Amino acid sequence: MRQWHAGLGIVAAALVLVGCYESTEVTVYDPGVYKGEEDPLMAKQRKEAQQERLRQRFRQVQTDR
Amino acid sequence: MKLTRKGSAGSGSAEGAPGTSASLEGQSIDRRTFLRRSGLSVGGVGAASVLPGYLMSRSRAAQDTAPKPDVETEIRRSVCTHCSVGCGVVAEVQNGVWTGQEPDFESPINLGAHCAKGASVREHGHGVKRVKYPMKLVNGKWKRLSWEQAVEEIGDKLLKIREESGPDAVFWCGSSKASNEGSYLQRKFASFWGTNNVDHQARICHSTTVAGVANTWGYGAMTNSYNDMHNCKAMLFCGSNAAEAHPVAMQHVLRGKENGAKMIVVDPRFTRTAAHADQFIRLRPGTDVAFIYGLLWHIFQNGWQDEEYIRQRVFAMDEIREEVLNNWDPATVEDVTGVPEEEMYQAAKTMAENRPGTIVWCMGHTQHHIGNNMTRADCILQLALGNIGVSGGGANIFRGHDNVQGATDVGPNCHTLPGYYGLSEDAWKHWARVWEVDYEWLRSRYDTRRKYNAGNGEMAYTMHIPGMPVSRWIDGVLEDKENLQQADNFRAIFFQGHAANSQTRNVEMKEALEKLDLVVVSDPYPTHLAVMSERQNDTYLLPTATQFETKGSVTASNRSLQWREQVIEPLFEAKPDHEILYLFAKKFGFADKMFKNIRVEDGVPSIEDTLREINRGTWSIGYTGQSPERLKLHAKHRGDFDTTTLQAKGGPADGEYYGLPWPCWGNPELGHLGTPILYDTSKPVAEGGLTFRARFGVEYEGENLLAEGSYSAGSGIKDGYPEFTLGMLRQLGWDKDLTAQEKATIARIGGIDVDESNLQEMSIREAIGSKADHINWKTDLSGGIQRVAIKHGCAPFGNAKARCKVWQFPDPIPKHREPLYTARYDLVDQYPTYEDRKAFYRLPTLYSSIQDKDYSGEYPLIFISGRLVEYEGGGAESRSSAWLAELQQEMFVEINTADANDRNIRDKQWVWLEGPEGGRIKIKAMVTPRVGRGVIWTPFHFGGWHQGEDLKDRYPEGTAPYVRGESCNTATTYGYDSVTQMQETKATLCEIKPA
Amino acid sequence: MARMKFLCDAERCIECNACVTACKNENEVPWGVNRRRVVTLKDGEPGEKSISVACMHCTDAPCAAVCPVDCFYTTDDGIVLHDKDLCIGCGYCFYACPFGAPQFPEEKAFGMRGKMDKCTFCAGGPDPDNSEAEFKKYGANRIAEGKLPACAEMCATKALLAGDGDMIADIYRQRVIRRSGRPQTWGWQKAYGESI
Repeated sequence: MRQWHAGLGIVAAALVLVGCYESTEVTVYDPGVYKGEEDPLMAKQRKEAQQERLRQRFRQVQTDR
Repeated sequence: MKLTRKGSAGSGSAEGAPGTSASLEGQSIDRRTFLRRSGLSVGGVGAASVLPGYLMSRSRAAQDTAPKPDVETEIRRSVCTHCSVGCGVVAEVQNGVWTGQEPDFESPINLGAHCAKGASVREHGHGVKRVKYPMKLVNGKWKRLSWEQAVEEIGDKLLKIREESGPDAVFWCGSSKASNEGSYLQRKFASFWGTNNVDHQARICHSTTVAGVANTWGYGAMTNSYNDMHNCKAMLFCGSNAAEAHPVAMQHVLRGKENGAKMIVVDPRFTRTAAHADQFIRLRPGTDVAFIYGLLWHIFQNGWQDEEYIRQRVFAMDEIREEVLNNWDPATVEDVTGVPEEEMYQAAKTMAENRPGTIVWCMGHTQHHIGNNMTRADCILQLALGNIGVSGGGANIFRGHDNVQGATDVGPNCHTLPGYYGLSEDAWKHWARVWEVDYEWLRSRYDTRRKYNAGNGEMAYTMHIPGMPVSRWIDGVLEDKENLQQADNFRAIFFQGHAANSQTRNVEMKEALEKLDLVVVSDPYPTHLAVMSERQNDTYLLPTATQFETKGSVTASNRSLQWREQVIEPLFEAKPDHEILYLFAKKFGFADKMFKNIRVEDGVPSIEDTLREINRGTWSIGYTGQSPERLKLHAKHRGDFDTTTLQAKGGPADGEYYGLPWPCWGNPELGHLGTPILYDTSKPVAEGGLTFRARFGVEYEGENLLAEGSYSAGSGIKDGYPEFTLGMLRQLGWDKDLTAQEKATIARIGGIDVDESNLQEMSIREAIGSKADHINWKTDLSGGIQRVAIKHGCAPFGNAKARCKVWQFPDPIPKHREPLYTARYDLVDQYPTYEDRKAFYRLPTLYSSIQDKDYSGEYPLIFISGRLVEYEGGGAESRSSAWLAELQQEMFVEINTADANDRNIRDKQWVWLEGPEGGRIKIKAMVTPRVGRGVIWTPFHFGGWHQGEDLKDRYPEGTAPYVRGESCNTATTYGYDSVTQMQETKATLCEIKPA
Repeated sequence: MARMKFLCDAERCIECNACVTACKNENEVPWGVNRRRVVTLKDGEPGEKSISVACMHCTDAPCAAVCPVDCFYTTDDGIVLHDKDLCIGCGYCFYACPFGAPQFPEEKAFGMRGKMDKCTFCAGGPDPDNSEAEFKKYGANRIAEGKLPACAEMCATKALLAGDGDMIADIYRQRVIRRSGRPQTWGWQKAYGESI
């Protein structure tokens, strides 16, 4: 019974302690270099079709018509 | 002017940060990051419990309303519910949740644009602060009840009151926020209940416009359109702050200005609209008639009036000329209005040299006890310049609420049945025919025990006497019963969509509320009305849907009808107006009669059928051609309409005007295009042309009232003519153009039995003789008389002159009269108000007995009120929207630097503002040159405070708006227009002291 | 390739706050954070002018230049964005920005200063386009959907223009010619190193 209790205590302690775990992943900083995620929008914007879509939209919504 | 632009919440009267956020999650630490970093992917109970509550609630809120990838998105189209411009709204809905809002750039009215309110309408789909289920006050505590219980309890109480005090003891307040169909049913409902005590916001908005303008040239509505302002050469804004009240209208105004129009703004305040004007004129509040006459003085002096136009189309301009030249020389005008001669001359010259020019007016003009004089003076100015009936000209009256035009046209008004038919026996019989109910039965619903003073000394049954207007319901409660022209005081009020804090005299309103046996508020929000009194019992809240939770048509200020699709299902337990009315009609036992021709499915009356019934009855203003099918077609193909002319170029609605602006003559099958510009004789009537209406007879004191040598293009009669009747068709020999069916209908209305099979061959005379000669274009339910008149190029309502003299009104020629509470008491002798009246809309109405006393010593500041762009009306709805509330967190008063210094008041300081009737409000001071010396201004959208006390605890839990503040109308005063009972909020007095 | 820019035409801006509200609505920005605001000069006096201000997406953005963790990146069409996972909430960008654009939520959880939040030109952030993750951190990504920023699309008077700088300049120049006035492109010189 005691053992069972102790086991439970260890499990509980472990569960509580994992809350204190910090990821060891570190971003090494280089001045002037963006090291975040690559934005998928960048590639999309390079397509002429997408640029034309935005121009079309502009004519629809921004002009006085 | 904006007192607060706060970055943070929680100060002043604003409540803390509401939680619909997403982006904050990424800013400190979001829940998933936390879990990931702590190495917990499951069973993170401990971790979650240490998270602050606000992150959790935000997370949930965001999940509720944010758009989701890979979920099917439906597009629903509606129209903004915040003002009369009628901006299209495009809603994105996922699984019944309103998750996105896109600009409706196809709409020719707004081209995608919105103001702050329009850009926030998706919040209506969240409804955090809504009344969620029916509730009632039990010993001061709000208790939930079911709809069945609510209808039973309220219904029983109302029936008991009706039994004891008659049908007039209940005031039914309808709404300009209801759809055309909803507001029409509100009027119909009151008629079936048996009272004319039914009204809506137009009374305190543009009632003086409708009365003044309709009595000048026929119809009481904006003559042109927002879009047509692209064509103006000059624009005169009087008492209109469009930049805040109608922001999207400014898109068209500024386009007009870029096209070269000169813009003049006349206002006691240097408004945001004035900031865009070429000329700003500051005038003393309440002197608008004198101002217009001041312009006319220069016009007549310099011969700038359009003599030919006046000769052909205007009656009694000579009397105006006499009045102006004799009494309104520049020195007098300057003394009364405060505007120097040079400024007057410049404005008059601008208007004269830049034609066509338009005039725009709003509440600054209408909300006076001589409001009807002011609106008529405006019309007269435009008539003198020949500016009415032309593109680029017109009286562009910007209406207020989104459907205030429609509710005025076909909705709840105490002085008329739908379509301005009035309350005469003929009017009742017309609607009885449309409704297919027995006139005698309708009559039996009214109080027929005795007659009352109808106002002019004549005695009549209440059925034929205008009811008490919304501006005066408190007097209906408080006034001595003996002084009322009905059986008893009000014992119950039923408010469906009206903010009582936009009405004056809130201190007395509180007293009135506490005296009532029953108060019912049918509204999406509790409103100020539910909390302002100390009532403990017999007060009910009925959760009512917004217009985004139902469908129907809505009439914009330019008379275009637009169709709204339902965006989402009613939130919580809310029901739309028409469904609630049906429930009570059923409870009162007249549902079968009231909905005889309106299909009811699962307890919900058909909106389409309701519009069709409106179509069948409202001939007087051409609400007959706008069938649901045509309106839906316009909504679908709205991108086909030109953004200046509003005419469709190609597509299925080719040639038609957007929303079939009324009058859209004849039945839908006639295919009338709508009338984009009223009284425009350059087009045939069939294509939207029109003459001035022959509404006032054919002559007055021996002088001709019909047009002379002016007629619409292609007219079969090349001169003026009276309104069309069957008799007139016969005289012209045009009766043979009527179809057999039309003849049969006309005969039936005339009470004549005819054999329809013979009618094809017979002339109307042979068939029915002259007994039906009196049947006219308004009462002919077949539409035949209208159709034949239009076929011959004529306007069904005749072709007359507009009149400068309204002989039925207290001031036939518009007169300046000093406000009841005036700061220039020295002018009262020369420009006194009216004598008190005994019976006016069933009530005694005070004028001279108030003006007899000089309050200007004790209350030296002139007090006016107006709008903020973020809020609307009483603000219950908009102050409950987090996106809007954040932008305006405190009630305030604008006070000129000099007046502030005189009173030792500093910017942003708490002050007490007190009116001469004793009402006091505690608000923040905003010291600014925007208002002139001696004038102060407050917004009127605030509520939830009363005389220094925050009423937050009186709201049902979770429904108090984010922002609360004093209603300015706690300090406003008595004063009502002499024709319509419009309240005088744009010229009273007050004093301000540091708090 | 377009060069995305904002332009607020002060002759048309009426301070109606549609842009501010549209931004709140589209991005579900919380109370207290204002990616866009309207600034009024000479409030209540003759000469009163209002201008809608947000991140201008500057050429050679000063915020990026001072960021100690280099969390900013610029798309090929000139939109200046940042990665909130890198941002440490130091606030340097706020001091560098000539437009006061960077926003910081008030101190909340654990006494931390919040990560910087600003206008994204409705182009989201580095997370997958239009994903839930992107919306939660950065708000909407209208650009990816072929739409323009909500603030400009909903502007009451079309005072606020957003899109390719050349197209904006065309519209604006036409208006200036009609008004026969001088161009007053508030903020352009500062943001883009050029005027119209």
